[in-house]
Amino acid sequence: MSSLSALIHRNTKLFFRDKGMFFTSLITPVILLVLYATFLGSIFQKTFESVIPAEMNAPDGIINALVGGQLLSSLLAVCCVTVAFMSNMLMVQDKVSGARSDLTMTPVKRSTLALSYYISTAISTLIICVITTAVGFIYLTSNGWYMTFSDVMLVFADVFLLVMFGTALSSIVNCFLSSQGQMTALGTIISAGYGFICGAYMPISEFSDGLQKVLSFLPGTYGTSLIRNHIMRGALDELSNIGLPSEGINAIKDGIDCNFYFFGDKVELNTMYLILGGSTVLLIAIYIVLNILKRKNK
Amino acid sequence: MSNIIEISNLNKSFGEVKAVQDLSFRVKKGELFAFLGLNGAGKSTTISIMCGQLGKDSGKVYINGEDLDRSVDTVKRDLGVVFQNSVLDKSLSVYDNLKSRAALYGITGNAFKQRLSELSELLNFKDILKRTVGKLSGGQRRRIDIARALLHQPKILILDEPTTGLDPQTRRTVWSVVSQLRRQENMTVFLTTHYMEEAADADYVIILDSGKISAQGTPLELKNSYTGDFITLYNISEQQVKQLELPYEALRDAYRVSVPNTKAATELILKYPDIFNDYEITKGKMDDVFLAVTGKSLMGGEQK
Repeated sequence: MSSLSALIHRNTKLFFRDKGMFFTSLITPVILLVLYATFLGSIFQKTFESVIPAEMNAPDGIINALVGGQLLSSLLAVCCVTVAFMSNMLMVQDKVSGARSDLTMTPVKRSTLALSYYISTAISTLIICVITTAVGFIYLTSNGWYMTFSDVMLVFADVFLLVMFGTALSSIVNCFLSSQGQMTALGTIISAGYGFICGAYMPISEFSDGLQKVLSFLPGTYGTSLIRNHIMRGALDELSNIGLPSEGINAIKDGIDCNFYFFGDKVELNTMYLILGGSTVLLIAIYIVLNILKRKNK
Repeated sequence: MSNIIEISNLNKSFGEVKAVQDLSFRVKKGELFAFLGLNGAGKSTTISIMCGQLGKDSGKVYINGEDLDRSVDTVKRDLGVVFQNSVLDKSLSVYDNLKSRAALYGITGNAFKQRLSELSELLNFKDILKRTVGKLSGGQRRRIDIARALLHQPKILILDEPTTGLDPQTRRTVWSVVSQLRRQENMTVFLTTHYMEEAADADYVIILDSGKISAQGTPLELKNSYTGDFITLYNISEQQVKQLELPYEALRDAYRVSVPNTKAATELILKYPDIFNDYEITKGKMDDVFLAVTGKSLMGGEQK
């Protein structure tokens, strides 16, 4: 146990001592939020305005809350995974510098070593994503705030779960990397591509049927839907209160992936938690087994 | 003296490349053992196998009586390793580096503080404990590398080219620490080096070439087997040297004559007493041994 905590302490300290890595990881989500708001805000606003009948005279606050909610949910869905990939760089750096080989000279088990990278990356990523969530909530309050305390707590729970998932995914991928260049290239690919496949940049409902079916197999998409449901629930309830019929609410939910379908069947929120949680546990198990097998194959 | 390392018929290949071929040797407890060879000779592969980092194809490895195949964790506790390239975390302090390393061996709290105090005394680094490793000089960093390898009081200290790239003064410091450790703790030192003068101080030397042992013995045995003696003659003319009818080399103020061994040198002195007024007899150097054994010379990490 002392080995695990010592390694976690070392890895986390190294991450925060590397000012470049820490501030890049921290500032990226904030930059993304500004970019989203600048370039996508008006598009989202027009979409919501087109769905809500003009005669309802929906207050600007609700529309803004919906737009802000979609932006923030997209941002968090992407950040929880991309920041995990950035934070997990130490795993590869240790391979390059020889520190990893040196650590395996000690009696520490390979599974402990693997777990230490996982936990320290999860801690670093969580700190950054919680800060991002808090900044995002401040942004939402200035736009229109309809979230309850339980919604806020659930969003934090979603972020936690998605960070665990993203860290597990990055840990497995990083097992196969052995140079800084590979790591940078992967980071670029993940940053550019993950937003599309998790439904952050564009709702999955906008994609073709075939692609929707393929993407519904990816656990990350359920993370996006969970966050979006919890951030936007209050604003959608308010819309219902002022008279938008349930068909209209459902149409909006379908359009922004709050309602998510697996081969035509609607996936409930509890099932989404099960999928995301289960896949995270599975990925962690695969990651640890990979580390153990690597020694045996040498 | 009992054997602390016993390696028998060790083999390891990487694809077609046979890195280690039927390697067998013994290291006695408390001795300074030098493992020499060019890059790619199989030194690092052997060390990696001994440390449990790399699997072997066949053969047996016993460290301090423990079979590596059965008790790899026990074996790891008996070994301390100093690599050529420091693997300390540069952005952490000396204290943090040593603390996290000690915890991997279960040394925490007061036990760690006590061991740290002993080592900082021995290696003289008390005043730099709070300094960031990245800001230390090469010599200071080397001392911390050694301290790190000694935290868990290993029985064998493996030094993998420990002085490569260090200035002469730091090299002397490193060696004085190693000598002190051997004296005080009867520690076995397993050394790989490119500096032949360091190998000359070893108790036993093995020269590896292409994964196989090319030569082994004490430095004296190797010198006697693979090189001759040299007589350096002062205050004589070249004409007189030529009388000896032996190969010689002109130095700035002397002539160096090669003889097969010390006995031949003695016979020569008795035969030509008038030439031998001011002279010295020296054994061949380890560089000459290495050259004779491998056909290549090794100078400070560079193959010539």
